[in-house]
Amino acid sequence: MTDIEVITHDQAPEIPLVAASAPKQVRLRKRGQVAKWLSIAWLVFITFSALGANSLPYVPHDCPGETNAGCSTALIGDLLNKRELPPSWAFFADPERKVLADQPTHAGLLGTDSNGRDIFARSMLGARNSLLIAGLAITFGLAIGTFLGMVAGYFRGWVDTLIENLTNVLLAFPALLLAIFLVTFFNTPNTAESAEPRPLWPIILALVILSIPPLTRLVRANTIAYAQRDFVVAARSLGAKGSRILFKEILPNIVPTLLSFALTGMALLIVAEGALAFLGLSVEVPIPTWGKMIAEGSQRLRAGVWWISLMPALVMFLTLLAINLLGDVLAQRFNTREAIG
Amino acid sequence: MRYVIRRLAQTMFVVVVVTFITAVALRFLPGGNDVIVGLKAGPGATPEQANAVIKELGLDKSIPSQYFTWVKNFISGDWGLTFHTNERVADAVKRAVPVSAYLMVYAQVFALALAVPTAVWSAYKQNSRFDRLATTSAFGMLSVPNFIVAPVLVLLFSVQRKWIPFPSTYRSLWDSPVEHFKAFILPTFTIAIPLYAGYMRVLRADMINTLQSDFITTARAKGVGTPALLFKHALRPSLFSIVTSAAVQIGALMGGVVIVEGFFSLNGMGMLTVESIFAHEYPTVQYCVVILALIYVFTNFFVDLAYAWIDPRVRASRTLG
Repeated sequence: MTDIEVITHDQAPEIPLVAASAPKQVRLRKRGQVAKWLSIAWLVFITFSALGANSLPYVPHDCPGETNAGCSTALIGDLLNKRELPPSWAFFADPERKVLADQPTHAGLLGTDSNGRDIFARSMLGARNSLLIAGLAITFGLAIGTFLGMVAGYFRGWVDTLIENLTNVLLAFPALLLAIFLVTFFNTPNTAESAEPRPLWPIILALVILSIPPLTRLVRANTIAYAQRDFVVAARSLGAKGSRILFKEILPNIVPTLLSFALTGMALLIVAEGALAFLGLSVEVPIPTWGKMIAEGSQRLRAGVWWISLMPALVMFLTLLAINLLGDVLAQRFNTREAIG
Repeated sequence: MRYVIRRLAQTMFVVVVVTFITAVALRFLPGGNDVIVGLKAGPGATPEQANAVIKELGLDKSIPSQYFTWVKNFISGDWGLTFHTNERVADAVKRAVPVSAYLMVYAQVFALALAVPTAVWSAYKQNSRFDRLATTSAFGMLSVPNFIVAPVLVLLFSVQRKWIPFPSTYRSLWDSPVEHFKAFILPTFTIAIPLYAGYMRVLRADMINTLQSDFITTARAKGVGTPALLFKHALRPSLFSIVTSAAVQIGALMGGVVIVEGFFSLNGMGMLTVESIFAHEYPTVQYCVVILALIYVFTNFFVDLAYAWIDPRVRASRTLG
């Protein structure tokens, strides 16, 4: 719509009243472009950091000396000198704890946590599991949801009824409860003496199951719309089999919708993982997730130590914003305005 | 009418399946019967005592027969006792429901009251400065999870300025209204922010579509004023999506705001369910699940009926089909 307006304005510049609004349109689009590229840049940066956190110079990993004194990395902390220090730019914040005279009062880009670990390094490393969990979950969810939705939307009849009732059941089940069931079911319960490392896959499985019903519904609605179209009818009258029509005729047409939905879904799953972390159900491996960092940090919030929880939250927020923005850009480009949820 | 009956049957089917899955899932959680026996008969129970407990609770029967007993008890209102405190399960649930209901109603009212006027004005003045501000801020709000909003609000209003006590205690609206609202204001805000953003976006998009239709031009040509045009003519046909999402949120808010409930120590349905799972209070979990599922399916059911009120075309297509 906006495109058409801009073109007409360009063709008729002699009418000043109309032409006056043309630069505004262009400016709006330019602003959108900037936001889009910023989002892409941020996501690339996060992914790159997450993958290369072990060797990147800005994510300290190993301590140089024999002792850990004065050194704080993503996994190793300096309990003595660098515990709970606010970020170096936060001139207004003072460390809650008493700091020795010759020791720093501020440390790191995002401060240090209760174990003296560097929050920036930890956030970068935390991106790894957060993105891995959400990315894998949405991939599997999308694969299953697309298949079920296409089958239901194309063949209709009893298959459709079956799948519809299945999604209804999953949706009526309180979402978080389903996740808790699955995660507690597959995790060995932790005792006070030993906290065993928990695997990633129960969480991924829970998130996959949560993401299937809405995706199925969306794909089904899209498939129904395309199944009536002439090219599908033509393929069918030429004697094409159901599977061929589904994968060669319908699937390529709904891929753009799926992509934008995958991005939005991924943002939702990153949040869902965070919610699980708040209930103590996230991964128990040395590498943190954002949700876990925020959850742990919020314990210290009442003492006024805000950075431990809010700095990972900021990283998470920027990532969610970038993902949502790209999802929106895709949705607008392909003009798909399906409701989510 | 036939449509209503078919939908009702479908609804009941969903509830039955959900509760049955819950019943099965609870049996297979780690620990199983041993945990229940341990809770009921104490840690050093003799095998005889253990067997007595298993018999009393009917754990030795098959899962379907246990399930039928449970359904019978649910309908007759005999919901049994909790394992830990020997309190009636019904009482525990009765305590949690109003907390969740208050939170849900406050958040919904707050979000809708803000979203409807903002969306209408945004759509009317599309691409204006107000519209851009509204859409951009809504976009940002959608990207903040509630477990980030909650700590920020607490930090601002309870730690730095000591306006609102944290953690606050739940009081009923009738006993001490001031305390009641003090306990609810931050959680309401936390939940309402993403709700508002979602509603705003949905309604704005629908409004923009409606404002382009012919009957709006006709109404304008007849000389209808702007407020009447927006709220009398354009709003009702645009309500479709926002009603759907608001209804879906009713169910979600009753049981799905565990994090917010937990953070602000409000013991609503979400917290009750989750804590009951962790404490192996299986009867409580089952009743919570059935209540939440009932709320979810019945709100959906009524939304379907509401469509007919919003859009007469739906009514027509249903009587034909």
